[in-house]
Amino acid sequence: MNATTRTGFKARSDAALANPTLKTAIDRTTGTAERKRAAALAGFAEYEAARSRGSAIKDHVIANLDHYLEMFERNATASGAKVHWAATESEACDIVIRLCREAGAKRVTRSKSMLGEEIGLPDALGSAGIERVETDLAEHIIQLAGEHPSHIIWPAMHRTREQVAELFNADHKPPPADDEAASMVQSARHVLRGKFLSADVGISGANFLIADTGATCTVTNEGNAELTTTPPRVHIVTAGIEKLVPSTSHAMALLRLLVRSATGGELTQYTTFHCGPKRPGDADGPEKMHIVLVDNGRSEMIANEFRDMLRCIRCGACMNHCVVYRQIGGHAYGGTYPGPMGAVLTPVLDGLAQSRDLPFACTMNGRCAEVCPVEIPLPTLLRAWRGRSWRAGLEGPRMRAGLAAWAGLARRPGLYRMASGIGVRALRLLGRSGWIGSLPFAGGWTRHRDLPGPTGGTFMERYTARGARRPEDRR
Amino acid sequence: MSARDSILSAIRTGLGGSRNDPAAIAAEAADLLAAPETIRPPLVAATLVDAFCEKSEALGATVDRIGSIDEVPASVGRYLEGQGLSAEIAVESAALFRDLDWGDLRPRLAVAPDAPAAVGLARHGIAESGSLVIHSGKETRILLAFLPLHHIVVLRAASIVSHLEDYAALLVGHETSPRNAVLITGPSGTTDIEGSYVRGAHGPGFVHVILVFDA
Repeated sequence: MNATTRTGFKARSDAALANPTLKTAIDRTTGTAERKRAAALAGFAEYEAARSRGSAIKDHVIANLDHYLEMFERNATASGAKVHWAATESEACDIVIRLCREAGAKRVTRSKSMLGEEIGLPDALGSAGIERVETDLAEHIIQLAGEHPSHIIWPAMHRTREQVAELFNADHKPPPADDEAASMVQSARHVLRGKFLSADVGISGANFLIADTGATCTVTNEGNAELTTTPPRVHIVTAGIEKLVPSTSHAMALLRLLVRSATGGELTQYTTFHCGPKRPGDADGPEKMHIVLVDNGRSEMIANEFRDMLRCIRCGACMNHCVVYRQIGGHAYGGTYPGPMGAVLTPVLDGLAQSRDLPFACTMNGRCAEVCPVEIPLPTLLRAWRGRSWRAGLEGPRMRAGLAAWAGLARRPGLYRMASGIGVRALRLLGRSGWIGSLPFAGGWTRHRDLPGPTGGTFMERYTARGARRPEDRR
Repeated sequence: MSARDSILSAIRTGLGGSRNDPAAIAAEAADLLAAPETIRPPLVAATLVDAFCEKSEALGATVDRIGSIDEVPASVGRYLEGQGLSAEIAVESAALFRDLDWGDLRPRLAVAPDAPAAVGLARHGIAESGSLVIHSGKETRILLAFLPLHHIVVLRAASIVSHLEDYAALLVGHETSPRNAVLITGPSGTTDIEGSYVRGAHGPGFVHVILVFDA
């Protein structure tokens, strides 16, 4: 949970929109991601069938989640790992901190895990006085900057190359040779290498939990997950309970969807199945492996209208294709998860009262649902939050009065037509140049962009002009 | 109530209280793997070896084809020379490698944190994706695949499987699972700075496959 949730979505998005470098940084990464995904799917004729199958696999797991959790626990235990259960984020952090203390850990390496961010593990380790070393390059950048991730795949996408160079020059000894991306990657490789090998505990997340082997699966392109989980004495995994799949083969079917949707690759450079601690005689590996299964609101979603969200495999395609995310970036959302999937999950995690603006920060254009590799109807779920927000009385008096006025008009077609006729003429007057640069009493609509002026009359005027009959004239 | 019990009971309540029969669940799970050819891409070439090589090379790996395991040292030597690397090289402690005549090369079992190059053995190749599979074990150090800048991997052509599921089918039950099963698909890389691709993040920047056709 991020502390920023409380400072207000509107203030944060205003600040984001006023920041010119942010827009450049977001465009560079999301633009590339969108193009690469499209290219990867163009070469995968079986995508639609794979997508339906992937959704069916996740639905099957959720419908039998108790069965698969018990099966996973049994097999993971048999492999020598210890399984822990945490109902809440604080329980999860307490378990991890206790395990670190039992291991006498001074230094902990961490391989990027959004679940870890969700439960607030970075801060918990800090409060416990344990040195935390983020090993994913982007997480290393935001650790130096003292920030939270702004994207679930590219946590540092809000920072330009020049801004990263500034951080590295201040922290890395020796500093990078120049501010080209290649030199900075080289510098991070050098700085982090020693830390990987001297860590007492390595913490990772899991992209999948394999029920029939008891293994956890991580995917990375950098190789940092394996360097995090092999050298230390103890490997701790934190994972959400919805990450289960029946077998490795089911995981493979989902990996094809995950990687293409996330980065446009076919498979990440490293896909690793971690099954228990070091075996007798093994040449390397940790002596102990712990797996912390985290609920944190997930079990409640099984019975409510947000169940489909449990299919999410965290690819980030919905945010890469979201017109709102691409304007304001991830930090404006204020939760752990940004974009459309974040706008659905944050109210679950932080409470609707804290985050009621998020389901409204959506144009309902449907792009997110279209690109979702597991067919999550994100606009429908966002609409469900809007309904809940209304019923809980979280909408302010202006919104309620405005909607009541609209509802009054919408029930009186003649009056509605008259009002929309006046409205469209007023807008035409304001938009004589073709664009509307400012709106009286509604400046928020035009503060950061111009609106196109209406080019014709109202919908009904144009509809009847085309010779169509009015609905009430039919029969 | 323990966290375990409260989570499981919340799930069961959410699911409506009735529990499915394990045999029925297993049958449904098996159905979800039916007709795999409809949910995966076909191979990019007619044979497993050609498809594997085409995919590996597209990912930036290089491939050398040799006729027998005895030719491994010569192939390694050629690669090191081509890359301007020293003859001192970390080699996996596999029995297969111990018996080879390494000639002028100086193989060592230890792999330094900044090792320029190391030679390892892959258990399988996957033709669909051009992936190499390594399993941790008594002879296989996982770090040997991650610490060096150049990872040289010996792969027997006969051990290449067609698709990801064909490999996954070998990992059923924890008895058959090694501690780590790693699918390596091209050299390490990152796009974390402005989305631009940089090769050689934490793992090897170069992957060289020595493909052995020894039947």
